[in-house]
Amino acid sequence: MNNSHTITHRQLFFIIVQSQIGVGVLSLPYTLFAKAKTDGWMSLLLAGLFIQISILAIWKLCEMYPKQTIFDFMPKIVGTKLGVILNTLFVLHLFSVCVVLLILYNSIVSKWIFFQTPRLVVISILAFTCVYCITCTAREIARFLMLVSPLLLVLFIFVAYAYTDVHLLYAFPVGATGIKTILSGSTDALISLLGFDTALVFLAYTQGKSNSKLKVISYASLCVTLFYCFVTFTTYIFFNPVEIVIVPEPVLYMLKAFSFKILERTDLIFLSIWIVFVTTSLISYLFFTAKGVQSLFKLKHHKTAAPYVGVICALIASIPASKIDVQLWSKLIGMSALCCSALFPIFLLLIAVIRKKKEKGAVST
Amino acid sequence: MRKATLLSLFSSLFLLSGCWDQTQLNETKLVRAAGFDYIKNGKIKNTASVPQSINTEAGGVGQVNNQVFYAVGNTARQSRIKLDRKISEQVDASKNLIVILGENAAEHDIYHILDVFYRDPKSALNARIAVAKGKASDVISSKFEETETTVGIGQYLNESVRSAEKASIVPTENIQTICPVMFDPGQDFGLPYLVPEKNDVSVNGIAIFHGYKMVGKIYGAQGVMYTLLTGKQKHLSMSLTKKITDKHKDRILNYVSIKVKKNKRTFNVNVSPDDKISAHIKLDMKVVITEYPRDNLTTKKKIQNIEKALSKRLTKDANTILHDLQDMNSDAFGVGRKLIAFHNPTWKKLDWNKEYPNIDYTASVNVKVIGHGIIE
Repeated sequence: MNNSHTITHRQLFFIIVQSQIGVGVLSLPYTLFAKAKTDGWMSLLLAGLFIQISILAIWKLCEMYPKQTIFDFMPKIVGTKLGVILNTLFVLHLFSVCVVLLILYNSIVSKWIFFQTPRLVVISILAFTCVYCITCTAREIARFLMLVSPLLLVLFIFVAYAYTDVHLLYAFPVGATGIKTILSGSTDALISLLGFDTALVFLAYTQGKSNSKLKVISYASLCVTLFYCFVTFTTYIFFNPVEIVIVPEPVLYMLKAFSFKILERTDLIFLSIWIVFVTTSLISYLFFTAKGVQSLFKLKHHKTAAPYVGVICALIASIPASKIDVQLWSKLIGMSALCCSALFPIFLLLIAVIRKKKEKGAVST
Repeated sequence: MRKATLLSLFSSLFLLSGCWDQTQLNETKLVRAAGFDYIKNGKIKNTASVPQSINTEAGGVGQVNNQVFYAVGNTARQSRIKLDRKISEQVDASKNLIVILGENAAEHDIYHILDVFYRDPKSALNARIAVAKGKASDVISSKFEETETTVGIGQYLNESVRSAEKASIVPTENIQTICPVMFDPGQDFGLPYLVPEKNDVSVNGIAIFHGYKMVGKIYGAQGVMYTLLTGKQKHLSMSLTKKITDKHKDRILNYVSIKVKKNKRTFNVNVSPDDKISAHIKLDMKVVITEYPRDNLTTKKKIQNIEKALSKRLTKDANTILHDLQDMNSDAFGVGRKLIAFHNPTWKKLDWNKEYPNIDYTASVNVKVIGHGIIE
């Protein structure tokens, strides 16, 4: 592998953070509330714990096959033929994730700011920006993601401003819904935390000690979990439990009420910053997809695949028209993404470990 | 070649600004104050004030012409659409400053009217909201002295409510801040109550709500006590003038004026084993004496006397307010909210609307004088 393609630990950290924080942040409190009521933030913490298992699996896989992406080591684990099939399925899953990112982005943008602009235009503007970004190397992508990271602070400050008008009592009684509902809420939370799976490809480019890589990914996911938890908790004490049921984008709605001397509509500023985070998530997933397509078609460079991936995603994403369609698509793809991104690495690791043991056994006899 | 590419890339920048979602200022009329009334047949009358600046000779002070429009419809949105037909350009309420509800509109369900504000992504959720004595249309359409000059009626009303907020006569609320409380089964709220007078409009008290409906009023100076009881800690000028004795013939000598510097609220809600609910609000105030014509605040004893008299007087005032609120069945300070949070099993059992007027609800005020201006 070319030396200029590698990335450092710090860059890996920001890649994971930026891929995890994405479309979900605006509506997460709402979806969590639907199940776990005001204890939704606890579901989120639980989900944060669960994904540590997946992260561990991903890291172990990448440690067993250093400097290889998932598409390189898949055939080695399950055999060449099955490997190609699984690789194809995985690429399809990545496609669907990109599509759902675009769909959700469009649904919010067209609902809040661009009422008249055609869907295809809103979607392709973002898709093509991302396609342009992924035509470069992993290192350049990492640099870009790091460059926009300070914007996270702005996001944080905006949300923290809500504390000027909160009702702390709305969070009580804590834990009234019971452990079962909190657990069932955590599946929704898991979907919003997806993004750590991009490590499956970016770990291949990361230099340095293996242990510290694990640390970096875990820290990144911890940061994101805590940030989400903060956002969710804030909205729960800002909105009344009866009210939040009718507000699908609580974070934006909350900011709509605040105005400063020079900023009248904070929600619009927030929305434009949020779009950057959607872009970064999409960049890392599109990169992932393009890498997959590259290995499937044995292309020389993933650059060649990028435009096709972008166009296909944009076209599919502009299909769903009504709110119900959007919900259906995001729910289905959310579940499939959960299986492929969080559970699949664990299975893959199990197979790999069993294989290795057998091989060892064969050698020793 | 390279130059040509760069040039074409650069010129394509001009295509980037789309033309679908644009609202041009010269094609819109901005509503700065909106009023809602129910008229006899149950329809909604929407009043909108649209200020238009009049061009004067160069250098002259810009005059503002207040155009007021009316429209009647079955719902708030329908009346807005009808309003749009009457006005030459597109009506835009995204810069609205204040929403005025007529008294009979406030006594109906106010959420029915406000729904359009909460639903529209462009609406101004940070607009203030107030209740008008009589009709909202009267407040918006009357010619006040101040509005004749440079400010529009929306700005004038907004400023008068804001100055009342600063003086703590009314609580600080906007369309969004009342929303969570309005939905809350365990808490209610109050809004500024405007009374139109001959040449101006005065913020005359607080309209008290229960759920979605207005149920009563608190007048004048009691508003400060109400705001203090909500737990507001400090504000620019929370001033009170109270009578503390009857001893003097000269009426003015019986009074003392204070300014609250710090206000600390301790709010306890207790449930006894046999499910009796009692609530107690304790206020610890640090005040500065701003007017006391009798003078002689030299000794500690005298100050203590004033503290005692004030504490007694304010405790009485506070209890009157709590009592009034119980009579109106408005849980403005959120006893119910405390029950939901800390005594959830009890809350689930009871019917709060029936229980609240009968709970043991008291207040006590403890005044401490920390200053008395530049003379003693």
